[in-house]
Amino acid sequence: MIDFQHLLTYLEQLPLLVKVVWILIGFLIIFIILLIFYLKYLRGYLRKKETISKKLFTEYEANLINFLYSQTEEEINEEQQIIVDKMKTCITNKFKRKIFISVMSKLKNDISGEMADSINNLYIKTNLINHSITKLKSNKWYVITAGIKELNLFEITNVFEQVKKHENHPKQEVRNEVQLYFVSLFHFKGLDFLNTLKSPISEWNQIQLLEILQKFDDQEISDITPWLKSSNESVVLFSLKLAKIYNQFQIIDTLLELLNHQSKIIRLKTIEVLNYFQVNEAKKILKNNFKNSSEDEQIAFFQMLENTVEITDEEFIVHNTKHVNFQVRVLALKILKRLNNKKLLDLKNKATNDEDKLIFNYLENN
Amino acid sequence: MDSNTVRIILLIIHYLFFIYAFSVVVSYILLAIISAIESFHYMKKNSFVNYNEILSSNISPSISIIAPAYNESLNIVENVRSLLSNHYVNYDVIVVNDGSKDDSLEKLIEAYDLVKIDYLINPQIKTQPLRNGIFKSTNPAFEKLIVIDKENGGKADALNFGLNISNNQYVVCIDVDCLLLEDSLQKMIKPFLEVTDSKVIASGGVIRIANSCTIKEGKLLDVNLPKKFIEISQILEYLRSFLLGRMAWSRLNGLLVISGAFGMFEKKSAIAVGGYDTSTVGEDMEIIVRMRRHMEEQKVNYKVAYIPDPLCWTEAPDNYKILISQRNRWTRGTIEVLKKHRKIGFNPKYNLLGMLSYPYWFFYERLAPIIEVVGIIYFIILITLKNVRWDYAFAFFILAYLFSVFFTIVAILSEELTYHQYKKKKTGFKLIVATFLEPFILHPAILYAAIKGNIDYYFNKKLKWGEMKRKGLSN
Amino acid sequence: MNNLKKVVLAEDNSTLSLLLKFRLEKEGYELLIAEDGKEAIELIETHEPQLILTDIMMPFISGLEVISHVRNKLKVQTPIIVFSAAGQEEMVLKAFNLGANDFMGKPFSPNELVIRVKRLLA
Repeated sequence: MIDFQHLLTYLEQLPLLVKVVWILIGFLIIFIILLIFYLKYLRGYLRKKETISKKLFTEYEANLINFLYSQTEEEINEEQQIIVDKMKTCITNKFKRKIFISVMSKLKNDISGEMADSINNLYIKTNLINHSITKLKSNKWYVITAGIKELNLFEITNVFEQVKKHENHPKQEVRNEVQLYFVSLFHFKGLDFLNTLKSPISEWNQIQLLEILQKFDDQEISDITPWLKSSNESVVLFSLKLAKIYNQFQIIDTLLELLNHQSKIIRLKTIEVLNYFQVNEAKKILKNNFKNSSEDEQIAFFQMLENTVEITDEEFIVHNTKHVNFQVRVLALKILKRLNNKKLLDLKNKATNDEDKLIFNYLENN
Repeated sequence: MDSNTVRIILLIIHYLFFIYAFSVVVSYILLAIISAIESFHYMKKNSFVNYNEILSSNISPSISIIAPAYNESLNIVENVRSLLSNHYVNYDVIVVNDGSKDDSLEKLIEAYDLVKIDYLINPQIKTQPLRNGIFKSTNPAFEKLIVIDKENGGKADALNFGLNISNNQYVVCIDVDCLLLEDSLQKMIKPFLEVTDSKVIASGGVIRIANSCTIKEGKLLDVNLPKKFIEISQILEYLRSFLLGRMAWSRLNGLLVISGAFGMFEKKSAIAVGGYDTSTVGEDMEIIVRMRRHMEEQKVNYKVAYIPDPLCWTEAPDNYKILISQRNRWTRGTIEVLKKHRKIGFNPKYNLLGMLSYPYWFFYERLAPIIEVVGIIYFIILITLKNVRWDYAFAFFILAYLFSVFFTIVAILSEELTYHQYKKKKTGFKLIVATFLEPFILHPAILYAAIKGNIDYYFNKKLKWGEMKRKGLSN
Repeated sequence: MNNLKKVVLAEDNSTLSLLLKFRLEKEGYELLIAEDGKEAIELIETHEPQLILTDIMMPFISGLEVISHVRNKLKVQTPIIVFSAAGQEEMVLKAFNLGANDFMGKPFSPNELVIRVKRLLA
């Protein structure tokens, strides 16, 4: 008691700053103790959660496989109904629901055919579908995204309108998910969103969309010309990828127009597609633009010449064997070797700088 | 001087120290808050991404992994196998044997059926020449592998050679002894591909400490907490720096460092600034500062991204000697980089880079050890002058100590809430014990290394690379 | 029951493995499951199966290396079916070059796989 009294008088006579320091020390000690206890609780909780989810995962995995193997001609038989009923009660719990969905999606990603249809059927019968639809109405962008993802995975096409509402969501992640939904479930028809799209499609999402399209057996693509003329640059870039993958030879005229597009990256990608199609008409335009185009475009053009060179190009090529860019120079010499080896040897003898000598030596052996 | 002037001078010094300490504390708290916001956002954004769709695609952009190696013969075959087993499709692995004096090259040739090939090198960046040449595998299963054997020129020079050789759009620069998880490339490439409103020039990854982890055939099987105190405290240090520090800086788009052991660049941007600087020991920090500076000067809207996932695991020093030489080198690196680019410091033309990132690094990384030592010396002087109110000093010491403990616990918590890598029972307890001991045991060593780095920088310029003796990741 | 035909299945998606195991065991085959390429090679060496099913993308050792090991190191002509994700045409070509007999792109129908397995083991 005396000690405590003593301490209090001591604290009272301290300068303000030191008083504050002691108060802070008090707070920090409390915080640290609380955090340590929380940490202990958290670690225990996470460990338990992991064990349980592993157990549930195995259990649900077995249920799912049982369900798939009991499939008969009927839409759903007794044995299956038991599993459906069991899962129905399980999924009222959010944690269990998550695990069940992860079991289903793990398999759904890798299989197709009747069994895949059965999984979709299970998703509907267990009422999981309603949980996903509810998510669409959430205020949180990541909840909406998860909802769309599930509806997409289990091929629920009749919620199209509800999903479409989020087409212009301010959050890029949501828009991406909507686009993936369109294309996964409605294939090339799903690409119609490109007609009106104002926001950019990220490169990441473009790749995903193309991946999905390539999975379908039906590869009938609609006319991509309007998209190539879109004012949305990412739509143009995306359509250029479509043009190449789906061999759209009929749009070559539109491609030639794009060679004068104001965006450098579009011009560059167009050259690459034209190279792929080996379009000779492009050469004249590109030669005219050559001086004013970027080095990337110049390299791309020479890569094109590698495939499409004719004897009349020789002068242009010889001229560019002294180009400042190493890659252009190498390509020019490489093409020249095929076109007129004598001329190449001629240039070789005149070569003065070491870098060029290296190129000539390399070309001699390759 | 009369006693009054002395008193005033002392008072000013006190306040300067006080302001410095106070601002450090405030900045740490702010960084922790920002990092919490960013972590939440990152986890929500990426929790449901299907990375499989991107990895299998051959439309996805091409990546080269550049791994310089110097006398790594012990583990090189296994390490290369780990690099080759990434799940991304469109990538290759360029191992640059930087004039090793051991049998690294022979081992690689033997293990991967390598043969010498003719390769035309685009000499965009000047480097040391080839020694034995360039090799590729005859086995189609290893066709992603390119091995370069060149004259010794240091890590930066080796990386530059890799930049010259690579035909791909992006490069990942790593240490050859780093173990990459199989999905690391698609996670690292994501920021480059998903950002639509600015240009991403680089993305940096997290380094995790692999000491005591179970590793087999280049694959991480089990994460364990190491036994030695020096290793555990480095884990705490890394958690603080990667989960709280860099996470927050990436939110602010003010990242100044990408770990040399694991970073991805857009190749063209890296070459446009001339590649790595071979004259500094801080080449990993230097290239980022230079690329950022270049972008600011070009007035391009750019970003340096950061991926907090635990993708890259490496061995950390397990004794004080190597730790001190490593930190000594880091210190010299920081000094060199900040000095080389002092033009951007406090220069509003460089926006956030000049007004926030640079000053922060200058005051809290570059000057911190010096200020600390000056403080200690000053305190000793006060003691000899018998001018110390021990009870006041004691209060301040306790406060500083508790704050550092508190901050470390927050870092451990954020690890548990995000990646939860140390799952085993009892490790939580060990981490907490280490948290309380670290300021007394690890910190003095690091302070010593930093001071030695300063001394070496100013008085011992010829100093070479500190070499790290590897024990090997496998057991 | 020694006359059961043995099949080694190397696949890192455990749920898919389980599904295929049930399905193929119902058809009267003995299934040996590996989760990665390394395990697959061990199983192949000890059990000398009549058929190998392998995913291309696997931890440790890829499906391509498994094929290469079977054809070049063990020098046996056991039929091999590879699984690959869409868009990996190059990988599939490499797999065929190394000596694979058939391939199925993911997602695939388990029933179709059974038909192809039967055809190769007929």
